[in-house]
Amino acid sequence: MPASPETIDLDVLRYRPEQDEGPVWQRFAVPYASDMSVLQALQHIKDEQDGSLTFRWSCRMAICGSCGMMVNGRPALACQTFLRDMLPGPVRVEPLAHFPIERDLVVNADDFIRKLESIKPYLIPKSPRSLADGEYLQTPQQLAQFEQYSSCINCMLCYSACPQYGLDDAFTGPGVLALLHRYNADSRDGGRAARMEILNAEEGVWSCTAVGYCSEVCPKHVDPANAVNQNKLNSAMDYFLRFVSPRGASR
Amino acid sequence: MNGKSTVRRPYVRPMGGWWRRDPFFMRYMIREATALAVLAYAVVLTLGVVRLAQDEAAWNGWLDALRSPASLLLHAVLLVAMFVHAKSWFEIMPKTMPMLFVGGRRVAASTITRIGWAATVLASVVLIALAWGWRT
Amino acid sequence: MEVIKADVAIVGAGGGGLRAAIAVAERDPQLSIVLVSKVYPMRSHTVAAEGGAAAVTQAHDSLDAHFHDTVAGGDWLCDQDVVEYFVAHSHEEMVQMEHWGCPWNRKADGHVNVRAFGGMKIERTWFAADKSGFHMLHTLFQTSIKYPSIRRLDEHFCVDLVVDEGRVQGVVAIEIATGEFRLVQAKAVIIATGGAGRVFRENTNGGIVTGDGMALAYRHGVPLRDMEFVQYHPTCMPGTGLLFTEACRGEGGFLLNKHGYRYLQDYGLGPADPSPRNKAMELGPRDRLSQAYWHEKREGRTIAGPHGDVVHLDLRHLGEEKLRERLPQICELAVQYLGVDPARQPIPVLPAVHYTMGGIVANGRTAAPLPGLYSVGECSSVGIHGANRLGSNSLTELLVFGKVAGEEAAAYAKTVPHGSAAAVAALADDARGHALAPLAREDGNERTSTLRREMAQSMEDGCGIYRTAAAMQATCDKLAELKERSRRVRLDDRSKGWNTDWLLAIELGYQLDVAQAIVHSALQRCESRGSHQRLDDYEARDDANFLKHSLAYCTGTGAPRIDYGPVTITSSPPGKRAYGAAGEQAEAERLIQQEAIDARVA
Repeated sequence: MPASPETIDLDVLRYRPEQDEGPVWQRFAVPYASDMSVLQALQHIKDEQDGSLTFRWSCRMAICGSCGMMVNGRPALACQTFLRDMLPGPVRVEPLAHFPIERDLVVNADDFIRKLESIKPYLIPKSPRSLADGEYLQTPQQLAQFEQYSSCINCMLCYSACPQYGLDDAFTGPGVLALLHRYNADSRDGGRAARMEILNAEEGVWSCTAVGYCSEVCPKHVDPANAVNQNKLNSAMDYFLRFVSPRGASR
Repeated sequence: MNGKSTVRRPYVRPMGGWWRRDPFFMRYMIREATALAVLAYAVVLTLGVVRLAQDEAAWNGWLDALRSPASLLLHAVLLVAMFVHAKSWFEIMPKTMPMLFVGGRRVAASTITRIGWAATVLASVVLIALAWGWRT
Repeated sequence: MEVIKADVAIVGAGGGGLRAAIAVAERDPQLSIVLVSKVYPMRSHTVAAEGGAAAVTQAHDSLDAHFHDTVAGGDWLCDQDVVEYFVAHSHEEMVQMEHWGCPWNRKADGHVNVRAFGGMKIERTWFAADKSGFHMLHTLFQTSIKYPSIRRLDEHFCVDLVVDEGRVQGVVAIEIATGEFRLVQAKAVIIATGGAGRVFRENTNGGIVTGDGMALAYRHGVPLRDMEFVQYHPTCMPGTGLLFTEACRGEGGFLLNKHGYRYLQDYGLGPADPSPRNKAMELGPRDRLSQAYWHEKREGRTIAGPHGDVVHLDLRHLGEEKLRERLPQICELAVQYLGVDPARQPIPVLPAVHYTMGGIVANGRTAAPLPGLYSVGECSSVGIHGANRLGSNSLTELLVFGKVAGEEAAAYAKTVPHGSAAAVAALADDARGHALAPLAREDGNERTSTLRREMAQSMEDGCGIYRTAAAMQATCDKLAELKERSRRVRLDDRSKGWNTDWLLAIELGYQLDVAQAIVHSALQRCESRGSHQRLDDYEARDDANFLKHSLAYCTGTGAPRIDYGPVTITSSPPGKRAYGAAGEQAEAERLIQQEAIDARVA
């Protein structure tokens, strides 16, 4: 059994717009420990070797969604990706694919945030209820219909996995469409019609070609591919029903 | 202050050759390419129908063509492609369906995939049996 | 510098900040709100909270019971009038969250489920799997999108409050992406920046929990109250300090020492029932459990591990199905980070710093002594946690007092005009100058990361679970040294945009200020109470001399001046803080006494 190495190399794609023409690779050697994550390796570099290395992070436990990056070419959360699985190295660390690079491992997330805000991501109650009436009733089975889709931590790994988004960022994208579905599938919500236009659009579900990589990389098992593709049927039905019902199913 | 920052210069990485970057994308492109195999076979069959509508000589000509070595090779390739097509489609099929519950338990994606295969095998067996029976 | 005018500015977009923003927007849609956060809202550390939020729900529960659990849990350092308000308004806030879509766990009949939690007599903790904070934060963030009057400045790092004419006039923040400064000129400011656990070495907190808002208020003369009370959560991951929720114990988990023995029964928390009994054994309060660990370690009954001595959190008897349904996230954490499957092996755990009970002094309406300034959440000391917080009270706190802060700030903003633009702009320019100092410095010889590491180690040594005057004094001295050295930090990064090296240096300044408030308050509290326990001459609670809040005042660049303020007692005079069988007896005695008092009054 080979002994654990003393150090492991990280090849990090740097980009300092104020001094670099474009992104450039830089190699760092970090001390290796079997329970060390990529995030801890990056923190070591920043603390001990180069304080200018820039990356987002916070919770260290895969719930805040800050530390998404490409590790050996695959979208991953740095805090949950362990050096022991990438021996002997070097480990390639790059910013999340399909987003413009702002600085080092920090990407511009404006498009994702804008899309998230655009889908009416809040409960539009089916029937009104005052606080004095207490909670809406919802059985465990009804909760199960949407709970999975509500687990999205907004880490954007699915956008890095989605080639359609990479080729044309007009696509609403997997994570945001999964959130849209979360609300449509919530038994308390009555806003399906209000959100139909987003689903039906060319940039809605119809930009998806069921590559399925988004669900593969999702750290929270949200299965955005499922959320998007099951809505293709809903979208198609809505389209045809509009011919049947003059008022239109979605108006 | 003109409001435009001179400090930010977001860098957009090119998408050229994206599908070569990751084995998952390669498998996706192969999946998509198998649609061409389906198209090719549809053309072969359509040709057969056209020949059937013409006359016996045309029909026999088409059957002879099918038996040629080139044709057998083509069909072998198409069969493999169809198999890959079916496999990748059954893998993605569960993603197109809403959540299913049977007896209070969630039906797993793998179950749906297996049902797809089971249906395929059954249909193939039935068709082959019919075709064999027709011959004899 | 760009000036953004607003009625209410809120610093921090976690559960408290978002709830406050929504409250302002609902109170009056005409009021403009600017929500400033150094991270995107969904990254706020509320997201990591796991266990749940408490509110009296079951028919056999009562506001009185929640009140008494909280006051006793806080070792009688709570402001009881504020606790009364808190328990009375908890349920409606939880229902409000449910109406906004929060996916609370349900009973078969469709009503919300509640679970047991440490220090609570009756089950009253609402929960969403074991990701309650995550679901609450995302519900609040997504709901906030409904209100067009809320303008967010995401990834803006706040460097100062602007104070003029004796009241708050706004905040100055750096747009992280560009390094540009922006002044948010506001009539009222709500600080909701979270706790300061990162000043300690081993903690459950995310990197952003650095006491920013506490330091900002402190530097403007607002005292930090009860800072010595720092909660060590008993069940955390060795090495990283990541949290294994109290709900593990609420669902029936055991804590075992190296002999496989449920040692808590030796610390006044027994007897050891096989199934969880409220306020007993593993459902005792967090300070007691962490203290028990400390004693077991001293007696050599803990298990040595690669990241320190641990005890075992045994969840095997819960079974796979219950683990998957109620505790899915902690199963993933244990498997991925430790290679331990909780269904088959016990999880190694140890105490780590989790929560700062103290904070910016706030009256029952969240107002600071500085007019126009309010605070909510972990950065705030509104008076409900006292010397030790009960689990699941803090998530509810964000909602109850988030709403109060929003409404108070909204009401205040309507009564005052904006201050003088010229004066405020000049103050903002000063703030910019101070903030740019580390960038300008060419001749420094210190590294931020080194100073931060030394601070965190010193805080662990001096302000641990048990404290001595000598160790605390050593930490006081060390922090003074670190503060002086921090003025000689040399940055690696000289850029303007996305310069986190620079921002971390500013953050270090906040952390050192808050750390000083903690250790000096601790040194001067000559008693043991709740989570502040001493091994020197002051091992007992001293109500005669120390039934009072500590107040740490900034004196410029030196050590804080510690003063004291009264604790409001209404219906619960300080009693014996007992759990387990002793607790049940004490509770029974208290109820008999209460009945006697009620009978005499009637």
